[in-house]
Amino acid sequence: MRVSLNLIRKYVDLPKDLTDEQIAYDMTLRTVEVDEVENVGSKFHDIVVGKILEIKEHPNADKLRICMVDVGETEPLQIVCGGSNLYVGEKVVVSKIGAEVVWHGQGEPVKISKTKMRGELSYGMICASSEVYLSDFFPTENESEIVDLKDFDCKPGDSVADLFGMNDTVLVIDNKSLSNRPDLWGHYGIARELSAIYNVPLKNLPKYELDKNLPKYNVEIQDTTKCNRYVAIEIDGIDLRKSPMWMQSLLSKVGQRPINAIVDITNYVMMAVGQPLHAFDKTHVSGEKIIVRNAKENEELLLLDNNSIKLTSDDLVICDESDAMGLAGIRGGKKDSILPDTKGVLLEIANFSADTIRQTEKRFAEKTDAGIRYEKGLDTQKVEDGVNLALTLIKEIFPDSKVVKYADVYPNETKKNEIKVSEKFLDTRLGKKIPQEKIEQILTSLGYKISLENGVYNVIVPTWRSTGDVTIKDDVMGDIARILSFDSFEPNPITISFEHSVIQNDVLLERRIKEYLAFRCGFYEIFTYPWVDEKYIDISGVDKDKSLKLEMPPAPNLAYLRSSLIPAMIEAVSKNLRYYDEFRLFDLEEVYEKGDYRPSSEDEILPIQNNYLAGSIVGKDAKEIFYEAKGVIENMARYCQMEEIKLEKIEKPDWADINAYLNITKDGEIIGSLGLLSLKAMTEAKIKRTNVAMFEVNVDKFVPFASRTNEYERLPELPLVEKDLSVIVDKEITWAQIEESIKSKAKEIEFVDEYEGNQIPDGKKSITLKVKILNEGTTMTSEQINERINSILKTLNKKCGAKLRED
Amino acid sequence: MKEKLEEIKTKGLEKIETAKTLAELEEVRKELTGKKSELSAILKSMKTLSPEEKKSIGMQSTEIKKTFENKLQLKEEEIIENTSVLKEPIDLTLPGKKVSGGALHPITQMKYDLNDAFLSLGFEVYSEDDISSEKYAFDNLNFAKNHPARQSMDTYWLEGTEDKEGAEKLCLRPHLTGASVRYLLKHGAPARFIYPGEVYRNETTDARHERAFFQYEALIVDKDISFSSGIVMIQTILEKVFGRKIKTRMREGFFPFTEPGYEIDMECLVCGGKGCKVCNHNGWIEVMPGGVIHPNVLRSANLDPDVWTGFFINIGLDRLVMMRYGVDDVRLFRNADLRFLKQFK
Repeated sequence: MRVSLNLIRKYVDLPKDLTDEQIAYDMTLRTVEVDEVENVGSKFHDIVVGKILEIKEHPNADKLRICMVDVGETEPLQIVCGGSNLYVGEKVVVSKIGAEVVWHGQGEPVKISKTKMRGELSYGMICASSEVYLSDFFPTENESEIVDLKDFDCKPGDSVADLFGMNDTVLVIDNKSLSNRPDLWGHYGIARELSAIYNVPLKNLPKYELDKNLPKYNVEIQDTTKCNRYVAIEIDGIDLRKSPMWMQSLLSKVGQRPINAIVDITNYVMMAVGQPLHAFDKTHVSGEKIIVRNAKENEELLLLDNNSIKLTSDDLVICDESDAMGLAGIRGGKKDSILPDTKGVLLEIANFSADTIRQTEKRFAEKTDAGIRYEKGLDTQKVEDGVNLALTLIKEIFPDSKVVKYADVYPNETKKNEIKVSEKFLDTRLGKKIPQEKIEQILTSLGYKISLENGVYNVIVPTWRSTGDVTIKDDVMGDIARILSFDSFEPNPITISFEHSVIQNDVLLERRIKEYLAFRCGFYEIFTYPWVDEKYIDISGVDKDKSLKLEMPPAPNLAYLRSSLIPAMIEAVSKNLRYYDEFRLFDLEEVYEKGDYRPSSEDEILPIQNNYLAGSIVGKDAKEIFYEAKGVIENMARYCQMEEIKLEKIEKPDWADINAYLNITKDGEIIGSLGLLSLKAMTEAKIKRTNVAMFEVNVDKFVPFASRTNEYERLPELPLVEKDLSVIVDKEITWAQIEESIKSKAKEIEFVDEYEGNQIPDGKKSITLKVKILNEGTTMTSEQINERINSILKTLNKKCGAKLRED
Repeated sequence: MKEKLEEIKTKGLEKIETAKTLAELEEVRKELTGKKSELSAILKSMKTLSPEEKKSIGMQSTEIKKTFENKLQLKEEEIIENTSVLKEPIDLTLPGKKVSGGALHPITQMKYDLNDAFLSLGFEVYSEDDISSEKYAFDNLNFAKNHPARQSMDTYWLEGTEDKEGAEKLCLRPHLTGASVRYLLKHGAPARFIYPGEVYRNETTDARHERAFFQYEALIVDKDISFSSGIVMIQTILEKVFGRKIKTRMREGFFPFTEPGYEIDMECLVCGGKGCKVCNHNGWIEVMPGGVIHPNVLRSANLDPDVWTGFFINIGLDRLVMMRYGVDDVRLFRNADLRFLKQFK
């Protein structure tokens, strides 16, 4: 919404020393955020009325003329102009040097300077309406048509801003910010807020004495749940004249195009008091009767542009005896247009239920200025403000007009809410005692009626805040707090108690895992979307039957919600391969699958949701990255201070290589998997010339230790003897077999290296291991050491067929 | 003979002085004090001399040997002090070896910074699941039945539940606030807790808008506390996160689940409050909606609003991280692009 401060000042005398920016700031803090303070007048600096004294041909251009223009200064200005409607004596809009105009009505404003146009000097510009923000008053198709001020009482040198009432400031407010305040959809409501903020009186709206003995206009409301009030006023003595400049000016500034006096008055009233109005040509209403009813199913309404819309029985329409003429509270149809021959009008000032309007708007995906106001919930009493202001203006602009018929059908009246608010409640919740006079001043200027009895305020809420906005004592407290400004309250400290110290091991575990992966293992953390591209679901072989789907997905291929992080991880890997060939990623987020999970109450059955961790290591050497990934999982429990997890080969995950995979288990249950990405998946995902090791695990199955559990072992008094042994074994022999066979004979056994190659016979491999042996009590002699090593080699030979490698 | 010895001494000291390396010095040492040295030769040839001469030459030789040994010792110390462990010259401008890569996502970094700040104030961390129901996402939070946020244009409903109602109509949660009631139902009051998480809205995306984004909400519920306590908390937190005092303002805001509600703006860190593109030329950035918990929300959590009160603040993590680093496109947070992620150590 655009708010003109000139109009606001008609309703409230703001303190003189306030800047417009300060007003906007105070409103932002206390009422509604002002997005922009638009100084309209400043756009018109150095733009004045000029009078063409002389027109000469341009020697070098057919379409250009050289004009001598009187701009109220001692010397006339020479201006080169291509206008198609130039004549001597014409009063025009001149942008002098330094003025800023919008070139051909498009783009950012450009500063006028002295220029040579085809060799002739020009000291300014004679403007078309779109170049100087005047198209609302001079609509033209032809951009070479300049503004002709022949109908205006003005003289050379006059300020154009003054002539069009543009010395004003407009506050721009986002409509969304006003959703909860139906009373702020007119200038009068904003003025009321300012009167409360600055403690200055709000002026009364004009009253119009309507003769209540007039003949009744025939109005029938069929569905009184949807139409709360309908005032119809028939007025004669109307014509299609233009509205006065002050009204056109205001409408233009607040974003409404002036059309003719009748339409302008309805718009002006809506902008001023927030009450929508509608004017019918009285002769278009057949049978001199208005019927407010539900549309028939599939009933058609012909619109102004000759298209018609199909209605449903939930839509409320305004009809005469024969047809539907308009969608109630939203828009008129073709039949109700105000035309050049309009001599009399029927004014509709009505109140429709917010729900009806909102639903119809939704059905037709259409929001109008009237609909936007009704859908917020207007009070039925606002109709009177609309009637009074509209009739006052009509009388002023059409002095010969006459109200001939009148009706006020009023089935439902907005009731004033009544709320009890204790002083104690206010004192505690506001955190300080606000004097009674201050509370009374704030609430009274906002329109509340209050009385205090035994420490309890009885608060009567004004009708314009009683349609849902203010219903409980907290709302009243909120009004007091915001007008005082939230910033004006001394912050009260929050106490911290020792009982409240918090240690949450599950929360800390998540952080330990992330930091382990990022800082110790070199992974980068990524986040992915909960909806996954179906292509990658298929590639990873995830079972779609257990996955949930969105009703309205961001795109058709993104309907499935993730039940695994693998698909998104494959996508992330394949995207990053464009820039990197070796990297590590991890993603820790929730996955979902169909099921029965009731975290908060028995009636709410949610799908099963678990936090999963997925990781990937990308590199050329498949075996190497496999063991790297295995190392990441193997060491996770120790470094992250949680209960042990194991790796066992039990069941191949769909995405994994046929040989290189392991399952991650905890207490015998499979909680995740680790493996190389299968050739099939890589081919389908177009991952080439590299390999990917991946893991995925349900981290909700991890159990954090309550405290660190490192065990201390006394340092040995005697040195450990270390010996590297390289043995040749059959390829089928696993490390686990080797380790198991000699476990009892050494203090520690470490894997060093595995090798297959030229020096090793076919079908064999070389394994290098480090054994550490220790003698209790005394230092070993070299004979004792050899004896122990030989015994180890003998066992290796017996159990694994290993022979010491001799090179 | 005396003259000979003096000559040996002078030449010897010269040799010691000219040695440049420990190896050279070792050579000199052998030459001067070893068995085959001139000094040894002289001592061996002394047999023919008179006892007096023997005595005097002997003393002289011993003294020269001592002088040599002292000098050698000093020279050795001098050489060690001036010798590098490197045999070859070193290019100090070559870059150092890379440390292993890896980093937390910038959003996670911010989340942990906030966690540290809130945990120091005695807050608990709570997390709600991504999928919630209309009951917890809207009904409990005092959203009107016809509130536009409930529509499919705003909220992602799950297929097959869109025609149901309340606890049976499921969605990707559109905000975190629903978690407040879950926590309070479980733990009761008083309570102070934070609940960071991801939320989802059906929006058209651009550089400033995302369908999935990160929020961080905090709630205090207690008896007899005033809403103005909220601002202390916010200032403390911002100071912890940005490492200095940050100017804030509290202004009117409206949310169904608060009464009163407020918006908390912080001064724009890009322009220092002067006004720039980032802050839409007004010097302030909206970072946290907040407000006093609405009585109806307390009722949903089985708490008596005449006894209990409290306040929320909700921090837009994406926006805060964008402010912290000057990131200009919110979509970068979720596109898993290492070119972006590698910048945050």
